[in-house]
Amino acid sequence: MSVQKIILYPDPVLKKVCRPVRDLDEEILGLIRDLVDTMRSGPGSVGVAAPQIGITLRVCVVDVSGSKLGKNSNHGLLVMVNPEIIESDGTAVMREGCMSVPDYTGDVERATGVTIRFTDEHNRVRVLETSGFEAVAVQHEMDHLDGLLFLDRISSLKTGLFRRKNYK
Amino acid sequence: MQERAERSVHFAVTIIGKDSPGIVAGAAEVLYKLGCNIEDSSCTMLGGEFAMILIVSHHKPFSKTRLLEDFRAFEEKLHLSVFVRSLSSDEVHYRVPEGELCMVSVYGSDRPGIVFRVTNELAERNISISDLNTKLIGTPEQPVYVMMIEAVLPRGLEIEEVGKMLKKLKKELNVEISVRSVTPVSL
Repeated sequence: MSVQKIILYPDPVLKKVCRPVRDLDEEILGLIRDLVDTMRSGPGSVGVAAPQIGITLRVCVVDVSGSKLGKNSNHGLLVMVNPEIIESDGTAVMREGCMSVPDYTGDVERATGVTIRFTDEHNRVRVLETSGFEAVAVQHEMDHLDGLLFLDRISSLKTGLFRRKNYK
Repeated sequence: MQERAERSVHFAVTIIGKDSPGIVAGAAEVLYKLGCNIEDSSCTMLGGEFAMILIVSHHKPFSKTRLLEDFRAFEEKLHLSVFVRSLSSDEVHYRVPEGELCMVSVYGSDRPGIVFRVTNELAERNISISDLNTKLIGTPEQPVYVMMIEAVLPRGLEIEEVGKMLKKLKKELNVEISVRSVTPVSL
């Protein structure tokens, strides 16, 4: 197990749609360990997806328990293999940044609550409801598995607050 | 983008004029043909005017006059005003302010002094404005003023304190003021 280097855009691997995992074998368990170690090593990092360390498989990890925004509502470490969103509701905007796209942030609209189904590191299928910052982190990391970056989802320019005025 | 060589030159370019399609394309063409990079830029409609502010660079030093000359035809054709300022190297090598980022929304019936009083309050606490938009909306009979400020708080200052400190002003100016965090989440 080891900390891996975070791959930065424009590396094409970040725009690939990842393949589902077939068996939770040694290789996948190793990948999970690398993802957790890499997440833990990044200052303030709350999630990493496999393509961010160069592996195009549908695996990501999230842990918002150590963050200011997530410490009061979280499920601790979430290891998600082949995750799917089965229900989502509400929308809220949060300004996001990504370790793979340094020095840029943008307002992204995401669901405030998502119900997800995934296989965990013990090969158990789990369904759980998540909300708040954890839900945002889960959606952000899951986007990586489809080759999507937050840049694909920026919902408004800063000036988008204003509608055009009609001058007579 | 070209490499930021030590000998590269930077300019601040401001372009403003009556809005029409093709202003950005026209400006970008001039810069592209000169071999300039557009590093940072912000362009928006203000009233019926279109305004562009750009930080441009070139890997080899060349004069501001050359840049202005190359803009002349474009400037005349689209009835724009182009201003150029050379940037010194210490202006280019800046540090992005670090700290909590907050959004201050201010709105209410229009009256003189809204921008001054609010921003003055922020300046006195050493709060740095990173972005500001204002807009006059409503009807001629009932004009409403809207101002959105994005600001960086100095270390040690909490968002709640900013809200408190603007409370008095809210009453005095009879406007709504709210403050919320927009510090980016790192994922």
